[in-house]
Amino acid sequence: MDRRSGSTVALIHISATIGIVYSCQAAHNPIAYKEGAMIERNTLKPTRKSLMKSDPALFSAMVAVWISFAIFIFLPLLRLVMTTFVIDGTFTFENMKEALGKSYHIKALYGSLILATAVSISGTILGYIFALAVTRTTLPRVFKVLLGGVTILPLISPPFTSSISLTLALGPNGMLLKAFGIENFMIYGFLGTWISETLTYFPVAFMVISAILNTMSANLDDAALSLGASRWRMFRTVTIPLSIPGIGNSVLLLFGASLADFATPLILGGHSFPVLPTEAYLMITGMFDLRGGASLSFLLLIPALFVFLLQRLLIGKKSYISVTGKSGARTEFAKLPRELSMVIAVVCSIVVAFILYLYAIILWGSFVEVWSVNNSFTLRHYEYVFKHGRKAISDTLIIAFLSTVIGSVLAVIIGYIVQRKKFIGKRVFEFSSLLNYALPGTVVGIAYIIAFNERPILLTGTLSILVAAYVFRYYATGIRSVIASLEQIDPALEEASLSLGASSTRTFTHITIPLIIPAVLAGMRYLFIHCMTAISATIFLVSVRWTLLTTRILESMTELQFSQASAFSIVLILIVFIADAIMFYLLKLSTAKFHKPQEITNEKIGA
Amino acid sequence: MKKSALELRDVTKVFQKGNDMFRAVDMVNLSVAEGEMVTFLGPSGCGKTTTLRMVAGFELPTDGRITIRGADMTNTPVNKRQIGFVFQNYALFPHMSVYNNVAYGLKARGEKESVIRPKVFSALELVGLKQVENRYPGQLSGGEQQRVALARVIVMEPQLLLMDEPLSNLDAKLRLHMRSEIRKLQKKLGITCLYVTHDQGEALTMADRIVVMNKGRVEQIGTPFEIYSNPQSLFVADFIGHANVLHLPVTSIGDEKISVEIPGGGSFSARALRPQVYHASDTIYRTGSTAALIVRPENIGVIERDSDENHFAAVVVSAIFVGSHIEYEMTLKNGEAVKASVPYQNGMTIFREGQEVSLIFDAPNSVFLPS
Amino acid sequence: MNTLRKAVSLVLLVAFCASSAFAAGAQEQVETGGTLNVYSIMPEKYATTIFEEFTNDTGIEVNFVRLSSGEALARIIAEKGNPQVDVLWGGPADTYEAGILEDVFAQYVPSESQEIPARFRSPDGYWTGIGVIPLTFMSNTAFLEEKGLEPPTSWNDLLDPAYRNSLQMADARTSGTATERIYSLVQALGEDQAFEYQKKLHQNIQLYTKGGAGGAMPVATGQAGAGIFYIVDALDIQQQGYDLQISYPKEGVTYGVEAAGIIKGAKNLSAAKRMMDWASTERLGQVMVENRINYIPTRPDVTVTNPALDMSKVTLLEADASWKGENRSRFVERWIDEVVQQ
Repeated sequence: MDRRSGSTVALIHISATIGIVYSCQAAHNPIAYKEGAMIERNTLKPTRKSLMKSDPALFSAMVAVWISFAIFIFLPLLRLVMTTFVIDGTFTFENMKEALGKSYHIKALYGSLILATAVSISGTILGYIFALAVTRTTLPRVFKVLLGGVTILPLISPPFTSSISLTLALGPNGMLLKAFGIENFMIYGFLGTWISETLTYFPVAFMVISAILNTMSANLDDAALSLGASRWRMFRTVTIPLSIPGIGNSVLLLFGASLADFATPLILGGHSFPVLPTEAYLMITGMFDLRGGASLSFLLLIPALFVFLLQRLLIGKKSYISVTGKSGARTEFAKLPRELSMVIAVVCSIVVAFILYLYAIILWGSFVEVWSVNNSFTLRHYEYVFKHGRKAISDTLIIAFLSTVIGSVLAVIIGYIVQRKKFIGKRVFEFSSLLNYALPGTVVGIAYIIAFNERPILLTGTLSILVAAYVFRYYATGIRSVIASLEQIDPALEEASLSLGASSTRTFTHITIPLIIPAVLAGMRYLFIHCMTAISATIFLVSVRWTLLTTRILESMTELQFSQASAFSIVLILIVFIADAIMFYLLKLSTAKFHKPQEITNEKIGA
Repeated sequence: MKKSALELRDVTKVFQKGNDMFRAVDMVNLSVAEGEMVTFLGPSGCGKTTTLRMVAGFELPTDGRITIRGADMTNTPVNKRQIGFVFQNYALFPHMSVYNNVAYGLKARGEKESVIRPKVFSALELVGLKQVENRYPGQLSGGEQQRVALARVIVMEPQLLLMDEPLSNLDAKLRLHMRSEIRKLQKKLGITCLYVTHDQGEALTMADRIVVMNKGRVEQIGTPFEIYSNPQSLFVADFIGHANVLHLPVTSIGDEKISVEIPGGGSFSARALRPQVYHASDTIYRTGSTAALIVRPENIGVIERDSDENHFAAVVVSAIFVGSHIEYEMTLKNGEAVKASVPYQNGMTIFREGQEVSLIFDAPNSVFLPS
Repeated sequence: MNTLRKAVSLVLLVAFCASSAFAAGAQEQVETGGTLNVYSIMPEKYATTIFEEFTNDTGIEVNFVRLSSGEALARIIAEKGNPQVDVLWGGPADTYEAGILEDVFAQYVPSESQEIPARFRSPDGYWTGIGVIPLTFMSNTAFLEEKGLEPPTSWNDLLDPAYRNSLQMADARTSGTATERIYSLVQALGEDQAFEYQKKLHQNIQLYTKGGAGGAMPVATGQAGAGIFYIVDALDIQQQGYDLQISYPKEGVTYGVEAAGIIKGAKNLSAAKRMMDWASTERLGQVMVENRINYIPTRPDVTVTNPALDMSKVTLLEADASWKGENRSRFVERWIDEVVQQ
């Protein structure tokens, strides 16, 4: 019964979102706001038209989106700030003072920053090495495919998966340590957290950097070599300097990701290495101190926002254009010096082997009776997962599916408005849309429970709150890919459609949407993966009615059910993998029909 | 009086960026007859494309009126104007087959498939395309894409055909070919056409009338011949056909003709134009001050140095044999450069660099403008 | 046409905003007598079994989510105006005492309450004990052999440098097991001595786990040498087949009373009362014994078959729930300040 009501709510959300799409279609009028606000001095309409009159559909779409921002982005943040700074109706720094007054919390702030810095550096280096291996070496294709495949694993698993198997491999008395006869290795604390987060997040660096390395012009390599530079010199003076934007972006992305991660330090941090998100989580779940948790998460908000702004500044608009894929005859990139290639191959092999080993532990663990005592094969744990975890699986799928659909629709609307329309406050609009994404998940989760725990917007325990948390946090990737894709689509295509007599709605549905579908699907892949695996925000939001696989995995771990946790993880990874493969297939299908848009060739007319 | 196909009255477009106002199009007036082909010619940024886009409805004018076949269309949305627009990069829908590209407008109009099909095929045939209907734009050559773009517009039988530098992405040879194709097609269909280009050759060969624009204003409207032979401003003279513009001191002023002093001695007289409307203050000729002599390279004869006082003494700077012609670059006594293009005949002397020569300016084909 | 569009957009916009309100409204109406919503502090695998039996017996469906005691209480307090659940199941009685101070529990004396000894239930009927769990030492047999140690029988045994970096036990901020450990030490040694002891013990700690049972698996697999757990968690891991030693300190341990109680403002009050009634009968104890869920039943008339639950040779220290409730946060603060941050 109650579940049905949850679905009803979700349905209302969907229909409302469709409403926004509908009005957005009507708003599709690329003329009025194309080239800067124009001066309305038209003799028929002597006064400047308001947006509401000139483009009513855009107006209502904007109002709808702003209202959703107000509810799901500003309100939670405002309530968080109020909880932190207002006691009994007066503004005060009391809570903050109390939070900062404890040396343990200062240590946690310090720990967070150190960890984020270390992870961003090591992850970027590792990512760079992998990117070089794939784009600049003569290593066999199979090996490169293997690199690509294995690095997907951390991306599609819950963020703490590796920390669990890492404990078994490198923890006290761990299998790897025993195998290599290492003693006195202490995984709990900075070291373990650092290793685990590096392994979890370096694939992001790998993706970002290999994209940059791939779009570099190979002619530059040729030029450097033809000017007499050695391969070493070329690498040092051409390849590295040109990949600096990618490196910078990757460092900031990883810094933000590590800053927000609470699950890994929860498992591996130990008591000697506190970090803020984990402390905030413990504050709330352990000490039932919402105020303290809010204050701590507010502390976290400052470096997170700083990094986010820095990243926006760094990337600016340019990076999009560099990814046009518009290049003439592509020559091969010059290969790296042999010695460097060897080193890269060795490093990659070790890392890949290690990752495979960690996942093998989980796979193995899910099939044995009792971990490390009775290693006979059993399907018992999977039976348990499908018997008692069915609800978690279906809940997670429903939530991920709804979030992906709603998030993509919103991403299209917001991306479209941002890229194709000119209006006052556009930058604020864009910034607001990405705010939840910029903030650590713990902060968002805490803000949501504070904001939606009382009337008028009482959402705790509903499907809506989980979907909203995911949508407004992870649609950012979708927005970005929609914007990037729209930037590459000549507005002339839309104008052509209009000039052929098609209505703006028809133009939106028949021209714009089909052309950005690949970007939307790409965004959906990430959205879905995040919805399936993320935990930091939603751990506060799961309820009796709606629960998630990731929290079940964490729960199984705290209940000593390693095999169960492994089985849950494997099921989750398989679901994500299959869903991702389907979406990837759709993506291929949607682009296979036509070649690169508007390829202009100078061939003569055929006979 | 015949109703004109298109009327522009005081059409103005102002863009604002921050506090800067930019008048992209400034008080443009134009009347286009049914079936006429009018080209807009001018350097990039002169406002020709913006004007075209206002006619199409992609931009709304800040001021002025646009009337199509007597109906005020100033604020009518694009899709209600029944115009056909051919884009510089063709703007073919990359995700649709050629057939669907051409059928797009008819489908949007709600025509039945049984009506659409024959129309699409006849349009494709009209532009000379066969058996490409199932291909995608990415699989076509530039010229083929151009033809599809044309077919897509023609099939709609628009009131106005608007073309924005449609040939600029093609190679030189193909461009020449397509010029005549488009012109033939336009005449055959009797369709009124506005054509934007920065290529004067295109404008001269294709247009019934040319509108020369500069800095948002119309410099001159006229037939190609008028524009070429009677440029109404230095800009037009310079922009069309790369005329020599020589600034020479005026010695006497007649009703139609004025005379100037030839550098190094002698005098030369030719028609003096008095452009009416454009730049009133510039139109005065005064003895003692200079006037601009406009003479095209092909209207200059190059002979051995003689003493005729109507000839211009000059020194050859370079002579290039280009097959049918010899291209001379020379300097006059006052240091001004002159270009001449002399048709080559067998046995003709080719003057060498540094040689002193006399130039015969073809007076009927030379004009003066206020300088 | 345009007006129509605008109207449609606006209607949908309103729907979008209102949907949130519907969400709140809808969820209140649908709570009916046939189901019961529960936060369970008791581990999920036990709760699943017990609730299945309860549903078999009564036909009442149970929806539950497992939370740590701190999180469960934080949520119940936060949801005070609009309770999301009807019953809190499991978790130490002092959590309930803390909740009583926040006024989140309803009073209800279950039908067979008088059969349960008074020290295992709230004097005012806010909670009823459903199981008793003393603390115990659990050590890895292989570890003991390797280090040449006997299973620890005194708190002081754990201070032996041989245990250096080998103990895992729960973090007092998140775990009821950890606070129970502090209560035991305070009762056995006196408060200040208890914290002095823990400072020394800290030298041997490998990890403070978030959950009370979090260290049990590492001890079982040899990643850690020993730890302090509730008997239920220790026996559970031992039953899985790991070679482990369970022992008790001679100075004594306190025991936790696993409780259950009705949330104030419960939407399914009659079903909640039936669950409490059911929990007060012998039936619950039998279910636990049958399924090897190793709480010592609060009903003395239930026969316990597992010899490990025979408490006759164990020194049990009495600490009543209200004392625990009153001192909990002070002890935790002290633990953070003096032990963890030293």
